[in-house]
Amino acid sequence: MDRVSRFACVLVEHFDAAAVERCEPALRAQPLGVVNVRGDHPSAGREGAPTAKIAMIVEANAEARARGVRPGMTEAEARARCPMLVTRPLIEEYVLSARHALLEAALAVSPRIEDGGAGLVYVDTVGLERLIGDPPSIGRRLVHQARAVGLTARIGLAASRTAARVVAARASGPVTVVPEGRERAGLAGAPLATLALSPDLAATLARWGVRTLGDLAALPRAGLATRLGPAGLRAHDLALGLDHDPFRPWTPPPFWEEAQGLEWEIDSLGVLAGVLETVLERLCRRLASAALAADALEVRLGLASGGHHARDVSLAYPVVEVKPMLTLMVLDLEAHPPDAPVTRVAVSAHPIRAQAGQGGLWQPPAPAPRDLVSVLARLAALVGADNLGSPALVDSHRSDAFTMLAFSPPTEPAPLDHRPPWRSPRPDGGEHRLALRRMRPARRVDVEAAGERPTRVDARRVLAWAGPWRASGDWWDVEAWAREEWDVVLSDGALCRVARDRLTGHWYLDALYD
Amino acid sequence: MGESVAPIRGEITEIVGRPSSGRTSYLLACLSHVVGQGETAALVDAEETFDPRSAAQAGIDLRRLLWVRCGSDRGVALRAADMLVRCPGFALVALDLGERVPRLPPTLSFRLKFAVQRTDVALLIVGRRRLTGSSAALAIETLREGIEWAGPGLVPTRLARVRTRTRVLRSRREEPGESLWWTA
Repeated sequence: MDRVSRFACVLVEHFDAAAVERCEPALRAQPLGVVNVRGDHPSAGREGAPTAKIAMIVEANAEARARGVRPGMTEAEARARCPMLVTRPLIEEYVLSARHALLEAALAVSPRIEDGGAGLVYVDTVGLERLIGDPPSIGRRLVHQARAVGLTARIGLAASRTAARVVAARASGPVTVVPEGRERAGLAGAPLATLALSPDLAATLARWGVRTLGDLAALPRAGLATRLGPAGLRAHDLALGLDHDPFRPWTPPPFWEEAQGLEWEIDSLGVLAGVLETVLERLCRRLASAALAADALEVRLGLASGGHHARDVSLAYPVVEVKPMLTLMVLDLEAHPPDAPVTRVAVSAHPIRAQAGQGGLWQPPAPAPRDLVSVLARLAALVGADNLGSPALVDSHRSDAFTMLAFSPPTEPAPLDHRPPWRSPRPDGGEHRLALRRMRPARRVDVEAAGERPTRVDARRVLAWAGPWRASGDWWDVEAWAREEWDVVLSDGALCRVARDRLTGHWYLDALYD
Repeated sequence: MGESVAPIRGEITEIVGRPSSGRTSYLLACLSHVVGQGETAALVDAEETFDPRSAAQAGIDLRRLLWVRCGSDRGVALRAADMLVRCPGFALVALDLGERVPRLPPTLSFRLKFAVQRTDVALLIVGRRRLTGSSAALAIETLREGIEWAGPGLVPTRLARVRTRTRVLRSRREEPGESLWWTA
């Protein structure tokens, strides 16, 4: 039995212009031309003459096209036709980011998509009816997802990718559905230019009077094969709405980056923060549409000197919100500013599957990730990142061995048997532990000893003592250590731990019992 | 700590006392109670005297504790505590000022008090003497009463336990003091 296939075509017209509009939404309502500067050679015979640079329109949005602007014109000609024309240079990063954004938007609807080129994505919609609904609902979902990443798309749904693309290109509304089995009828009125045939083939068909896909589909297949060969048969299949190439599923490469070129140099952190915020907004929208968060960011600033300034900003908690990311970036750039004005900004994110922030119904509230990330960033700027975190014990005989880990409280609730009762202990003192206050670093002291027992510590008499406790470690290493610890009560009332380094003979005040 | 002398949510509590009077042990007991309930706590350590091993022995889940080391800068410690009490979600923010407690203007004390009330966090300030004056809802003083030693022979070989007593210096309700044993 043949598998029933249904495809949606997500089409974003005038894609280079749409990529610019995605970065500057205000340009959507204005006539926009995307220009590319190329060198133009003067007329032949004038060797040695300088090469002039001419700005050519490579793409125009619908507003500009309505006023007669077309790709291939010079900028001057375009402005003559449309004095209100706004131009922007062609920036490849914009187009690349927009292509990835469109693919990710489609991937949020269906796991099987094909990259059909810039501004064109095919979506396999088989099986989506149960999740989303009928074909118009699927189409509306795709429109919504594309809009969420800043792109305006038209959707065509049909039994083949070719038919879906043709109806999407010709449709006036956002969603057009070709009923099953009606592909040939749905494509009949489309002009031949829709198929993007080779110029020779298109010219031959035009001479035969073939103007539409319906005309081409009506031609006898055997005659086409005889006169035009495999190219003719292929064109006939396309006119019938049949796909010639197999579906090639697209899998997302690890590319989570947004970039922005600047029209002027920026040497103020306040102004740069505004640009960073715009870039982060686009990046966060993409992450959110794929249900991802970022746990690390890389900022790359292009400098007027020609160099780059790159910073890695790690987030203590996966977030997908602009404000805490921006706070962290600004704090980092304040501490490590670029040494030249900035001409370009690129931010890439390390994506991670976001976890639920709050645990079970009975679990106490924890700091919200957004608040925690901000306060940790500000604390790190205040005390230094190395002085902030959760302590963790190290497996060592050294009594003060520990390391600092990034603060990340567990989401599971505390085990029931771990919770200490909040009440006075029994008189035999079974429940509460005596704490130490460490001297960091341990303070060297003058000790008078009777034998090995300390009798005075920094001229204070030892009233009571217990010890020694001997410990040693790392004997195989240059950091070998050997100590003798005593608990002593001094004449000023301090109850402390003193230790003698058995390798050097020096005495130290290690800690106070408190 | 007893049921009567515990940090109050949304209020400032102060523990003061001489060295080796037990105030740090009270601090760890408060932290242990909070993180034992599955909540998160923060410790701003002005003198960097916190001992993770003592805390682990007191039953504190160190993963739920944020330790901020301030390098003996009291001003930095106060600013860090101010940031943390304004971050919703922490059940307890402890500020250990050690032996040298700075002077805090009354206006700053009130600001701290209002910030604590807004986020409903318990701010516990531990030091040699009091810091926030009338802004604290509860202030207690720790006093050492006795020491017990242990060992197999006539000469003790280890510290066994220490007995401390609390005296309520300030409270919004009648609070009796209490006496506790702390095991070394």
